[in-house]
Amino acid sequence: MESNQSCLSQINPSYKLIAHIIVMVMLMFIGNPIKTLVFWIAFLLLGLAIGGWTVRYLLKVMVPYCLFFVLVFWMLAAFGKGDNEIWQWAWFRITEESIGNGLTISLRMLAFVTIGLLFTSTTNLHLFMMSLIHQLKVSPKWAYGFMAGFRCIPMFQAELVQLKDAHRIRGYKQRRGWQSFKRYAIPILTNAIRKSERMAIAMEARGFTGSRDRSYYKTTAITPIDVLYVSLLLLFAISMVFL
Amino acid sequence: MITMSSLLGCKNLTVQFSGQMKPVLNIVSLDFQPGENVLILGPSGSGKSTLLSVLAGIIPNHIEAKVKGEVIRKQKVGILFQDPDTQFCMQHVDEEIAFSLENRNVPTEEMVLKIKALLDMVGLKVGLHGKIDALSGGMKQRLALACVLALEPDVLFLDEPTAQLDPASRKELFKLLKQLASSTGKTMIMVEHVLDGCMEWMDRVILLNKHGEVIGDGHPQYILAKYKSQMEEAGIWRPEVYPYEWHEIIRNKNHPLSKQLNEKYLQSKMKKEALQHNTDSLMSAAAVTISYERKTVLRDVNFQFGKGEWISIIGKNGSGKSSLIKVLAKLKKISKGSVVFKDIHLKRWKESQLYEKIGFVFQNPEWQFITKTVYEEILFSGEQQNVRQESAEAKALELLKEFGLLNYLNRNPFNLSFGQKRRLSVATMLLLNQEVLLLDEPTFGQDKHSAERLLCLLKKRQELGTTIVMVTHDMNIVDRYSNRVILFDEKSLCFDGHPFSLFSDDMLLEKTGLIPPLHYAYERAVKEEYLLGKQSILLVPN
Repeated sequence: MESNQSCLSQINPSYKLIAHIIVMVMLMFIGNPIKTLVFWIAFLLLGLAIGGWTVRYLLKVMVPYCLFFVLVFWMLAAFGKGDNEIWQWAWFRITEESIGNGLTISLRMLAFVTIGLLFTSTTNLHLFMMSLIHQLKVSPKWAYGFMAGFRCIPMFQAELVQLKDAHRIRGYKQRRGWQSFKRYAIPILTNAIRKSERMAIAMEARGFTGSRDRSYYKTTAITPIDVLYVSLLLLFAISMVFL
Repeated sequence: MITMSSLLGCKNLTVQFSGQMKPVLNIVSLDFQPGENVLILGPSGSGKSTLLSVLAGIIPNHIEAKVKGEVIRKQKVGILFQDPDTQFCMQHVDEEIAFSLENRNVPTEEMVLKIKALLDMVGLKVGLHGKIDALSGGMKQRLALACVLALEPDVLFLDEPTAQLDPASRKELFKLLKQLASSTGKTMIMVEHVLDGCMEWMDRVILLNKHGEVIGDGHPQYILAKYKSQMEEAGIWRPEVYPYEWHEIIRNKNHPLSKQLNEKYLQSKMKKEALQHNTDSLMSAAAVTISYERKTVLRDVNFQFGKGEWISIIGKNGSGKSSLIKVLAKLKKISKGSVVFKDIHLKRWKESQLYEKIGFVFQNPEWQFITKTVYEEILFSGEQQNVRQESAEAKALELLKEFGLLNYLNRNPFNLSFGQKRRLSVATMLLLNQEVLLLDEPTFGQDKHSAERLLCLLKKRQELGTTIVMVTHDMNIVDRYSNRVILFDEKSLCFDGHPFSLFSDDMLLEKTGLIPPLHYAYERAVKEEYLLGKQSILLVPN
């Protein structure tokens, strides 16, 4: 997680997170495809205006989700229930209601992705954890532990590739599902435990106790702008739900 | 013996891990003086790291073990571990150093200045907010050292700090440590395998045996001279030059080491002259370009090799050596160019057929283990390729005997020693009489005995016609065993030929920062000395 240098990256991360989660929950109460579309577009514009997004970036990130959008829409539209039939062929039966539902659900999915992306692309992991400690009173033990864990993800990915290659060379035939999951998961997990143990020892050897009795290199605070952002976002969501 | 003045040491220390029959450390009594630089040596499994952990307080604070005896520790200690990656918990350089300062409750406003000073101190020239993942192994160890120094420790413990580095980075780190030792006067207690570059500036060496007992304790020169046979027997690597002085060896042709080096040089030279050229091509690469996530790793690589060659692939860490041998084993895609094996494009080889002919030994032997016993492990590829049961079994037993694993037939591969694991991982690649064996740093982290044993086995295989392609950092192995060396630098192939020619090419060595085996350096230095002498004679009449 890296932040871009946009306006949104200046907003307090944990307040931003809470606001985005509430907005997502409220979005679930909207059952109208047009309103959902407006909701989605509003967040796209927000990202372009103050989230540091460019149209190129958006296209690159959103294209796979758009394919997913078509798939979800088709599934819901062609197999959904409803009375006012528009078109039928073989076992596909499209009705007015199913089109409405399909659009709502698939647009809702796109909006969810956009709101989530707006958070992750404008938030620095370190500052996010700091704001969890300072504003949400999360114990440093958890926040710093999470940061250490975050470092492991690319290591695991690299390890999985190596492991698969090593097995291929031995002539091990890839099986699907549970079998191969077990084959790869166990060595990777054992290694993960070993690595995390080493990391924990290294952290403690550097004097980390997990207590709140420490100084901070970077701290986060709440400013009027944070409050403004959160309230505007909530206001928008409430008006969309009730109007 | 612990005296009143000593502030760090142990008396009658015995340490035993639960589930183990014997203690790792046996009645150890030591006493350290402030400002001392101490090296702890011993065979693998002799409890060197355990001793360090006990003195640093990791045992019993963070790792559980039964500890008997008396230990006096310093309050403020710092520990540098061997794996650069598992010492960090942040994403960026400044945050990582700040983590140490935060733990010490250093006020926020002092931090930036302190971080800058620490980066200067370890000679790390990167942006304050640089990404840790973008650093090389050597730079990561410097950063780790900065993080440890941020704790302002009285004693610095170093647990094989250069084990994961390439020779050039190792040399640099040793230089830095030496300079820190003299400028800060901190006590340094170090465990290390490679002694060249660090033994010279040690005040004291402590020698452990495999039972975890202290058998020698004294000045490095004294230990090297007195415990020569014990060190040899335990498979401890010895420094190449120390305790002799380099210039003294060069000036004196009758020095025992001079004679030895000269002889070695002549041997290498003879080996080159005796070499017969192999013309038939077993495998060839044409204009191969390898990329990883849009970044070019290697560009336009061309070479070919024949049956029974021993090819060493060398280059700095991250120069694309491992990628290349993965490409040869069809484990990685080529972005441009082609590889041909036995006159057929690698692309067209079916995996199951290809891996009957090509074996690959990974850096971590554990990744390759699939079954529950050593015996099944060897048989596995035979079963996959439907080889006749009886012949496979006979062959497996033969291999186990050859690789010294016959007594461990029913052992779980994961419970073998490190050297045995490595031998097993090589043996599993030989059941089908593979024609090409690709190895990724096979001697990495092994003691002298295990490494030499493995190389002997490979040599035998090569004499039987197996082609060996090996990635390595050890130039002595390159010189002694291979008849071909391929050097990668700056993303391209910059040398392909006999090791003797490479190590005699002073210009190329300088350009790539490659450190040749000692006998080449000796030969070169003698030549320079001779020329210098000639010059001064010529100058005298004037």
